[in-house]
Amino acid sequence: MSGKNCVAIASDKRFGVKYLTISMEFPKMFQATDKTFIGISGLATDVQTLMERFRFKINMYRMNEERDFEPITLANMVSSTLYERRFSPYFVEPIVAGLDKNNNPYINGMDLIGCSTTACDFAATGTPEDQLYGTCEALWEPNLEPEELFETISQTIMSATNRDCVSGWGAVVHVITPERVITRTLKTRMD
Amino acid sequence: MVSRVDVPKGGFNFDNYQRNLILQEKGFSLPKPTKTGTTIVGTKFKNGVVLGADTRATGDTTVMDKNCFKIHYLAPNIYGCGAGTAADTDKITKMVASQLELHRLATGRESRVATALTALTQFLFRYQGHLGAALVLGGVDVDGPHLFSVSPHGSTDKLPYLCQGSGSLAAISIFESQWRENMERDEAIELVKEAIKAGIFNDMGSGSSVDVAVIEKGRAEVCRGMEVPYPTIQKVDSYKFKPGTTAILSESFRNFVTITEGDAMDIS
Amino acid sequence: MEVGLKPGEISLGTTLIAVAFDGGVVVGADSRTSMGGSYTVNRVTDKLTYVSDRIYCCRSGSAADTQAVASIVTYYLQLYAIQHEEEPPVRVAASLFQELCYKNKDALSAGIICAGWDKHDGGSVFGIPMGGSMHKLPYATAGSGSTYIYGYCDTSFRQNMTKEETIEFVKTGVALAIGRDGSSGGCIRLAVITKDGVQRHFIPGDQVPALGVI
Repeated sequence: MSGKNCVAIASDKRFGVKYLTISMEFPKMFQATDKTFIGISGLATDVQTLMERFRFKINMYRMNEERDFEPITLANMVSSTLYERRFSPYFVEPIVAGLDKNNNPYINGMDLIGCSTTACDFAATGTPEDQLYGTCEALWEPNLEPEELFETISQTIMSATNRDCVSGWGAVVHVITPERVITRTLKTRMD
Repeated sequence: MVSRVDVPKGGFNFDNYQRNLILQEKGFSLPKPTKTGTTIVGTKFKNGVVLGADTRATGDTTVMDKNCFKIHYLAPNIYGCGAGTAADTDKITKMVASQLELHRLATGRESRVATALTALTQFLFRYQGHLGAALVLGGVDVDGPHLFSVSPHGSTDKLPYLCQGSGSLAAISIFESQWRENMERDEAIELVKEAIKAGIFNDMGSGSSVDVAVIEKGRAEVCRGMEVPYPTIQKVDSYKFKPGTTAILSESFRNFVTITEGDAMDIS
Repeated sequence: MEVGLKPGEISLGTTLIAVAFDGGVVVGADSRTSMGGSYTVNRVTDKLTYVSDRIYCCRSGSAADTQAVASIVTYYLQLYAIQHEEEPPVRVAASLFQELCYKNKDALSAGIICAGWDKHDGGSVFGIPMGGSMHKLPYATAGSGSTYIYGYCDTSFRQNMTKEETIEFVKTGVALAIGRDGSSGGCIRLAVITKDGVQRHFIPGDQVPALGVI
């Protein structure tokens, strides 16, 4: 979700097989660069595989180019990595969120074969995708300050996951501002 | 495990194919790729080509993107509207655009529409319709204005006006009743807008606003959101939450440190 | 095994006729291209496709497959013309079609008529139906519409027709098929190929003779 010179990215923490919950501390987002995060939803094995592949590519880029990925470049990298497997895709839907070098918000949601959708407002993926889009449409408004953005994204993800029985069990929110990254874990329903 | 040397070989990777088949057999359903249930049109006019597209992208019945851009750049004088699987139209046009750019640099000549057409058709034919990309290709080159359509299986059609996508039936009706030969630029733009609007209103897969590209000899103009038939109704009041609304369990900060370069080190 | 059309594939449910006469050939086709049997993608298609200066092919089956095959043959004939320093004979073109259609019969759905004029044989017509066989014929029909006009062709075809009679024969044949076949329609396109080159005729939809069917 984008705000005024800030972006926020949030995910729940559940990892489960059908109705069985296996973990409540499953990381679904990782910090790609100082001001960019990648969040991946979908099949856990692919989420982890891709996180490692992206981490590898990000590190290689940093070493080769002696600079960090811009969010838009990162999104293109993610997109082409997914499209390479057009006919045998990873079962994932990633989101790239961050601030570019001028601290403008950048948000990009992708489907499983790398069709990227740049949004000026918000992007959502995962099992409660429809619920997320519904709450986003209602609660989001332009030019939110970091603290307001935190509240909006937190309420959005909590409302949506409360109506999806296979997600929830805790949530993490990162708010990226030009000065700092604020990370908070939310108190949520645990059922 | 990530291989230590990750050198891209080029082409598609089929490593997960067997695994995905097994997963699907076991009832793990594949997430739906984003499609552009689309209305895209193109028409020739007196001295150029007008292309038009709606801006809705859908995943199943969910609107994935309310303002996506379906008029893809291929060369400064050639554009192509894409319908079908969004990732395919996106990537194929990007690939062909880069091929054309390299070709221009090698030959020092303006790209021809036929070159773009051949590259697209041969690529799509090679994949036997598995790449779900349908395109309306338009441009102006040394031979004048050209308009083609390309189907996912790699067949082409050459017509003075064309429609594709799920809204093409609505759009073609506008052209069939109102199209004339040798239209003026403004007339052609108006007709394209009407055709796209017919798609937006009558086809559920098409929506949002009208994008238009006008290509004439030596000049191409792309107009994003030329018409927005139904702008989103803005909220009258605000839903902002007071800071502290959400209960949190833990909090951490990662402050960025700004490094100001000092004087240059004396290395004499 | 032969394949049919792939799902969503654009097809040329077609009527094609090619007839040889003394001094050349006349080829004719309707102009309908449809998708899924119910939507006309293109109502003014040109199914008479150039492959060399005095050889044309008539395409039926999958639009994508036949266009691809025709462009490959065009390429080989250009190469032939350069290497042999003469216009390629029709039988060479037909053999190329036959070779491509036979070797890739599992992947293609293409019924082709190859016709033209060359200095060796004059006007000649070759039918290359699905499967990739090749038949030299005095006249050939192909496409979904052809089934409706076998009787007409059998009764009306005569050896040694003049050019004008041949044109009339082809035109009437396509018109009859258009009248009965739902997958054929639109306009009639003709090409007369002789020693002197190719002459194209176009009969718009409203001037297609309404024969038999009201």
